[in-house]
Amino acid sequence: MTVGLRLDEAVWGLLHQALELYRDDPRATGHLRHQLARLEQPLHVALAGPWRVGKSTLLNAMMGEEVAPVVGADGSGVFTWYEDGPQPRATAYSANHPPQELAMVKSATGMRVDLVGWRAGELRDIVVRWPTRALRQVTLLDTPAITGPGEHGRSPVMDRVLRDADAVLYLTRDGRGTDLRVLESGRDSAVGQAAPINTIMVLARSDETGGGKIDALLTARQLARRQQRDPRVNALSVTVVACSGLIGLAGRVLSESDFAALAQLATVPRPQLEGYLLSADRFLRSELPVPLDAEVRAGLLDRLGLFGVRLATTLVRTGCDSRAALSGELIRRSGLAELRESVNRFFVDRRDTLKSRSALAAVEALLRAEPGRGTAELLANVEQILAGAHEFRELRLLAALRDTRLGFDAEVAAEARRLVGGDGVGLAARLGVEHDAGVRRLWEAAAEAQWRWRDRAEDPLLRLAQRRGAQVVVRSCEGMLAELAEGGR
Amino acid sequence: MAGIWLDVLDGIARTCREHGRGDLLQAVRQKRAQLLDPTLRVLVIGEPNQGKSQLINAIVNAAVCPVGDGRTTVLPTVVQHAEVAAAAVVQAAALPPGGSPGTAPASNVERIPVPVERIPAGVAGTYGRRPGGGPAYVEIGLPRALLAAGLVLVDTPGADEVGAYGGTAPVAALNRADAVLLVSDSTRELSVAELNVLLHVTRSHPNVLVVQSKTDLVPDWRAVAERNQRHLAEAGVPAALIPVSAALRLRAAAADDRALNAESGFPTLIARLHRDLAGKADVLARATVGLTARTVVEQLAAPLRAELESQQAEEQSGPMSRLHAAQREVEELRRCSVRWQNALNDEMADLLSDIEYDLRDRTRQILREVDDAFDTADPLVAWDTFQEWLARSLTEAAEANHEWLVQRCDFVARRVAGHFARYGYDVLPPWSMTVPEDLADRMPEFEQPNVDRFTVSQKVITGMKGSYGGLLMFGLALTLAGMPMINPVSIGAGALFGGKSIRDESRQLLRRRQATVKTAVQRHVDDYFVRVVKDCRDATRQVQRMLRDHFAALTDELQEAIVQSLRTAKQAADTDAAVRDQRQREIKLRMTRLAALYDQAQQLTAARPAAVPLEPRA
Repeated sequence: MTVGLRLDEAVWGLLHQALELYRDDPRATGHLRHQLARLEQPLHVALAGPWRVGKSTLLNAMMGEEVAPVVGADGSGVFTWYEDGPQPRATAYSANHPPQELAMVKSATGMRVDLVGWRAGELRDIVVRWPTRALRQVTLLDTPAITGPGEHGRSPVMDRVLRDADAVLYLTRDGRGTDLRVLESGRDSAVGQAAPINTIMVLARSDETGGGKIDALLTARQLARRQQRDPRVNALSVTVVACSGLIGLAGRVLSESDFAALAQLATVPRPQLEGYLLSADRFLRSELPVPLDAEVRAGLLDRLGLFGVRLATTLVRTGCDSRAALSGELIRRSGLAELRESVNRFFVDRRDTLKSRSALAAVEALLRAEPGRGTAELLANVEQILAGAHEFRELRLLAALRDTRLGFDAEVAAEARRLVGGDGVGLAARLGVEHDAGVRRLWEAAAEAQWRWRDRAEDPLLRLAQRRGAQVVVRSCEGMLAELAEGGR
Repeated sequence: MAGIWLDVLDGIARTCREHGRGDLLQAVRQKRAQLLDPTLRVLVIGEPNQGKSQLINAIVNAAVCPVGDGRTTVLPTVVQHAEVAAAAVVQAAALPPGGSPGTAPASNVERIPVPVERIPAGVAGTYGRRPGGGPAYVEIGLPRALLAAGLVLVDTPGADEVGAYGGTAPVAALNRADAVLLVSDSTRELSVAELNVLLHVTRSHPNVLVVQSKTDLVPDWRAVAERNQRHLAEAGVPAALIPVSAALRLRAAAADDRALNAESGFPTLIARLHRDLAGKADVLARATVGLTARTVVEQLAAPLRAELESQQAEEQSGPMSRLHAAQREVEELRRCSVRWQNALNDEMADLLSDIEYDLRDRTRQILREVDDAFDTADPLVAWDTFQEWLARSLTEAAEANHEWLVQRCDFVARRVAGHFARYGYDVLPPWSMTVPEDLADRMPEFEQPNVDRFTVSQKVITGMKGSYGGLLMFGLALTLAGMPMINPVSIGAGALFGGKSIRDESRQLLRRRQATVKTAVQRHVDDYFVRVVKDCRDATRQVQRMLRDHFAALTDELQEAIVQSLRTAKQAADTDAAVRDQRQREIKLRMTRLAALYDQAQQLTAARPAAVPLEPRA
């Protein structure tokens, strides 16, 4: 969007103004320089959530390798960063020691980091560099469990997550009240209130929905859709995705031997097998009609869970006759692909906006924490950027479109959502034309949309809020036209 | 057996009435009715999606409570015995604002029958419930032997906070339950929130069970159970843990598989419920009464203890402290009066000596000027001018001195008055002292001293006397030269000598005159000094006397007031102490009675030794 000053440029300028203001304060300047450097780094996406919700499993599933969790001797979690790097390396950062290389044990499907000799609470961060395509554009951040809100209604872990990460995948079992309250705690700053664009809520462990029935993943997906319509959830996250990290990871690291074992299980007639798969105990202990070692069974159960074994055997029986087919089907059903798609569409595509947003939040926090001469003006600047940046206006309009308070028809609302980037920020996605459409086609679509929405913006019969929304859409169209004109020249 | 705990419960009720706690009384009465009711009311609580409804279904072996994904149970559901399966949404009429749920008469309750196939909608709150009505719940009747024995199961909407329980409808309130089952699934250990809920519930319920559901889903449920038991022990929650699998139980019921049923863990749970049901009138009732006694006694003792403490605090701020303050005030006034008297005396003595010195200094100055003047001047010349000057100078000196005196007196008065500043009195005496107008008239008459004048005859005689020697001396000397005795030379010498002696004599006379005048002036000034000093002393003494009288009167007045307040304070303190003593004795008596009641209740359940510190803190 080239209308007005671009958001990232405005934020860059603001950071330099803040640097000038705090030039005598080495701590503050260090902090601000860090923010400047962050603008160039890959997007930081944190996986946060309460205890045992499957953060590390989901991270492994997203990476396709078993690299998480890094757990200390006492089981306490550390903030663990997974970055792209040429060589697998793990570095420990602590409060009172210099950075230190950590020993790393590679396994067939991933690695394990040795944390021997570190006391609890000593480590601050662990940075794992791991060569993988999944980390090209995002840096993943595994976080310790979020405990319930403290006495000030804030959770220290969530505070740090919001500070260090540009975007958050918030994992919850069922989107219950306490989880929502933790998310709400991040909304007390001006930047936090601007738009809930940095959070995707993930209904994790969706394989356990309804006690692990065979249609658990489907019901979980329906639940996610229902949650998304809930205004309370909607105000806190861009979207809700149901995803079973366990099934997804199993799909990604499924080995031939696993598949062989599952295929063997699938040969047992269904009613008979169901009896064995009634409970984990039964599956492990009882005599199966097929020769399958107890260790293999335990391994399967460990990797897939009882629900996973049920699902996988059903899938094998209904036609997934190779490892690749089964693994693909498992990934598809786990919701992992959907999650990745959401991450791409809402986070990676909006990288600049999210980066600018975290820089704005950092500057705002600094200005509020250390007020002095000139901070009030800078705070006003922050608010001006928030109010003026077209990206944020689009996002606010998106939020308004999601619940029906604007009162547009469903069809018109859908078009508005598409045009302001609700379905993806690429030109083709916004204009609703096919991927490979030529510049001329794009131009026509954009110009046509612009005229239509300009009429709407000037229609005296519409309510003020609707006219304002239409103006935002018009401006988005103008921005697209400008972009096309630039590209065409 | 029943009689004993009933007696204790009645005793508790009586105590509540004595203490005027209608709310507690009502709670105790409700408890009594509940304990006399032979049914066992089991409240199933837990976080959302832990399988609470499924647990109830598995207990009664029927899909009565809707089980679904997400939030299915919205209204509390009561599952109880009925000859024919039936369901109804029960809703109290909208409460008038301010009315408490317990006071709504039963006639206001509306029952809307729900067809069996619409039960899920009923439980989800979408069927049969009128919007805007009071709290509603679903009642499901089911012909089951277990229920017929008196078991009532209450399913609640999931909640993950202590405060949320019992908030939805009175039917799901914790205090109406005989037993509480907390459901937590096997996929994770008990959370901190759940342990908090347990701690809260076990404070008022003797019979709490933790049901670890969904053991079919995870292979390591035994480890989870073990860790859960450890968590319970660490948190000090006296609750048993029973791992169950509803899925296995329902499956076993469908397949009539006894082994599977045993594996599901439900036989243990149901046996436990049976035992509680059978023991309700005895073990459970005694434990409940013990806990009730504890809650009630704690609630009753708390305000008494607080009152005792506040009384101790009041001792510092009440009438006793006012008495102390008054005593301090008397003491302070006494010190103040000594201080101001000393100050007055000192200041006055200083004043007198200063004034005297000042006057002396001024007169000395005048005298010195007089001396200087009369070293050269002749008192005979311009005596009148001199006399006028002297009179003016002396008057001026006296006036300046007096003015200073007035200022000093004023200063002294203010200084002494400063001692009374803290009493806030406007204490300067209504007095003004001015410089007297008639200072000049008070001066004694100063007559010109008697001085010797050098008259013409005296001059002639003196001249003659002087010329005689010269004439003779030169005449005799010249006679030797043959000249007559009287010749022009000797006459000239005689005239010369005569003139000299006249001049000498006149100078001597002037000296004498000057000396005489100086002495006279000195005497005059001394006279004047004495008189003025006398005046000053008188004035000062007068001022001192006046100030003393004034401030003494003021001190008396103050003392009167303070003593008066002291007296009232003392009276108040005495009465207050008497009242407080009485109240304290009363409170202690009540505390003792409460302690006795508590002991009596605890004897019912010898196995629960947790004692409440009842003695007031000294």
